[in-house]
Amino acid sequence: MSEIPFVFPNDVHPPWSIMIVLYPYITGLVAGAFVVSALYHVFHREALKPVARLALVTSLCFCAFATLPLLLHLHRPERCFNVLVTPSVTSAIAGFGFIYSAYMLVLVVEVWLVFRPAIVEQANSLTGAKALFYRVLALGVTDITDRSRAIDSRLIRVLAIMGIPIACVLHGYVGFLFGAVKANPWWSTALMPVIFLISAIVSGIAALILLYQFISWRRGETADRECVGALARYLWMFLVLAASLEGLELLQMAYEAGGEWPILRALLTEHLAVSYGLVQVLIGSLVPLLLLLTSFTRRLPARLVMFSSGLASLLILVQVFAMRWNVVVGGQLFSKSFRGFVEFPLHWMSREGLLAAAVILTLPLAALWVAGKILPIWQPAEAGTLADAR
Amino acid sequence: MVELEVIGGANGQCGGSSDPCESAGCQCDSAESDSRRQFLQQASTFALGAVSLTLFPVSVAEGEPAGGAGGGLGTDAQPPMYGFLVDTEKCIGSGKCLTACRVENDVPEGYQRTWVERYVHFKDGTVQVDLVPETGYAGSDQPPIDPEQVERAYFVPKLCNHCEDAPCNQVCPVHASFTSPEGFELIDTERCIGCAYCVQACPYGTRFINPDTGTADKCTWCYHRVMRDEDPACVEACPVGARLFGRVDDPDSEISQRIAAIPTSVLKAHLGTHPKTRYLGISDEVT
Amino acid sequence: MNRIVALWRDTRHLWVLLILVVGIGAVALMARARMVPESYGETGPYRARARDEIAAKPSVLIADATCLECHADVGEERAESLHKAVRCFHCHGVGHEHVALARKAAENPDLSVPPAAEWDGNFRTDIDLYVTEDRATCLACHQAVVGMPEDFKKINVAEHLENMGASETESRETCFECHAGHDTAP
Repeated sequence: MSEIPFVFPNDVHPPWSIMIVLYPYITGLVAGAFVVSALYHVFHREALKPVARLALVTSLCFCAFATLPLLLHLHRPERCFNVLVTPSVTSAIAGFGFIYSAYMLVLVVEVWLVFRPAIVEQANSLTGAKALFYRVLALGVTDITDRSRAIDSRLIRVLAIMGIPIACVLHGYVGFLFGAVKANPWWSTALMPVIFLISAIVSGIAALILLYQFISWRRGETADRECVGALARYLWMFLVLAASLEGLELLQMAYEAGGEWPILRALLTEHLAVSYGLVQVLIGSLVPLLLLLTSFTRRLPARLVMFSSGLASLLILVQVFAMRWNVVVGGQLFSKSFRGFVEFPLHWMSREGLLAAAVILTLPLAALWVAGKILPIWQPAEAGTLADAR
Repeated sequence: MVELEVIGGANGQCGGSSDPCESAGCQCDSAESDSRRQFLQQASTFALGAVSLTLFPVSVAEGEPAGGAGGGLGTDAQPPMYGFLVDTEKCIGSGKCLTACRVENDVPEGYQRTWVERYVHFKDGTVQVDLVPETGYAGSDQPPIDPEQVERAYFVPKLCNHCEDAPCNQVCPVHASFTSPEGFELIDTERCIGCAYCVQACPYGTRFINPDTGTADKCTWCYHRVMRDEDPACVEACPVGARLFGRVDDPDSEISQRIAAIPTSVLKAHLGTHPKTRYLGISDEVT
Repeated sequence: MNRIVALWRDTRHLWVLLILVVGIGAVALMARARMVPESYGETGPYRARARDEIAAKPSVLIADATCLECHADVGEERAESLHKAVRCFHCHGVGHEHVALARKAAENPDLSVPPAAEWDGNFRTDIDLYVTEDRATCLACHQAVVGMPEDFKKINVAEHLENMGASETESRETCFECHAGHDTAP
């Protein structure tokens, strides 16, 4: 029985814009970068030492702007605090306010403790306004003892451990936000939170490889091969997980071929062919999986490993964005009549437009640059930190 | 208390004889006073709860028995008071309900609180679904379909289902989507933040973000009219009685008797939303 | 004693941090308590006043009974008509302004109620009051359209006129040449 397209009248206005694509993308980077810093602070992966501090600050910088796409998306942004004032326990969006606040607190405190020695040192060595600035940053306490250092180290580890479940909840809940919408067969799967979480870690590691390589290049240094190699191997492992889960989800949908499969098949083959088949699967997953294999052998020259890891990371960042796009936009391309497709409007200049999206993606990087001016984030973590923690 | 005024007012009006109280819409019956008592009991419980609301408003809100926002998380099942029956065997596709709704509720152009679909099964096996124009087909320049090619065809009016387990209500982060004590799914446009999560969560496409207010919007079953014993605008406007609204907790009402007598169904029943808008004469191709 | 002093010295920064965090939290909680709207939670987890606000919206669509308050004669005419299910506004518009003016005029005899306008051919009846003897008014419901129930009276104008032996097929007023507006016998 062939069908003629039909779209419910209100479905021609897809309610979620590119901002809702950015939002899980940015929170994913937050969670992923935090996992890398935890690998060092909690699991003592020594090879990650050069990026441990960078990972933590990167996580904070992206976290600071994670709410911005949401605020730009809200049609009544001035009422955003209603989410905290009269929250509904049954709403995933209401949960965000609290999980986000908790995570932000953990991040800020951890960053503060990690950099306190540096802050105190600046407060004591500088003069005038600069000294005052660092004194305020130090909350007025400008002396450090060996014992306070030891206490801080232990606290940092506790916060890093606490941060792992909170980061997982933060991003798992973003997946839940989509996975629990039973009205939408493209979203409604219990795998959604897991897929979001794993791809978040993937994007975080990839972003750190690129940042580390870029910063090393700008500073005229060579990125540590051991560090990049270790990151690349982690990246490969999580990418295998992410790609398998995404593939299995699709396979199951296609194999079960439930009542909504015809519209989903049409969605995949006609509307997401490029962004899913080409970008997310082929260029974004298969090619990086091959490129990252170079990090498993010591026989290849360092430059090749660096190059292939960097290229793979870049492709993976595109892939994860495409994955968010395919979920958020893909889920709105078909009408709930399951009989027709709608256009997804894209503008350059509107509040929810492409330009605003580009600015939002740049802001965390700008914040990272500013943070680099204030704090010694490029320096590897202090030698003492790990020893004390043990 | 404000609630008292509303109920009292409705009752007072009911006594008046000038009211064009159709058999289905009348509230002057024993069921009304029962539900009113029940409602007053609830109201006093909540008033006590409101005292402790000053500092921790959520704790009270979360423990609400009559919230109705629960969905899968378990709700206190109150039997529905009102229901809506769409008789697709009567609808002629005149589009009168569409204009009536737009005028009554100030619905912005390009959006619909209610719409009417036409399902046409052709003899060659194809199914065509289209929308009844707001002017009816007579006032539109849509090319007519050749009746010779058609096996069967019928109209399906759509509106908010006012689900007992409304997913839109469940996902609203700020309790702007709420269930009135009478079981109407309503939107507090003063609290809504316009996140559009409810628009995504509604399986029926009845919700939209009103471009004029920036808040969620949808059919209210004309709550304002029903509270003063009038029928919803679309029901009032239907020239053939394809839309029937009334008390389903009163076994003697027209809607109760029809639902009891004829098999009816709901849309997307497998989603477990338990719509209170029921359909007569549709088959499984209607989504 | 010295140990306590030492512990204080080594953990001072954490106490300052704790006070700061607790302070911000307390301010946030207090701000939140103030921001909860009045009447929130009275009848459930929502702002109870919202219900009253929605219920207070005026009814726009005029019920036939309102029209018949003045036009009682039409009511009598239509009492036995096949068209008694047809509402006044289907053919005459919503008439919101007309009713408001008529109400004012009832209190103030100096005011006159302006006469209804001729139908402008717009099928959407959201304009105010009009009179019509246009054939399109009838066809809004009766034009044969695929999807109508079997037993509903469908009119194919050309066929109908031919069957009835009418000549003036182009006239917009053809329906009303044979059928009355209010008491529409077939």
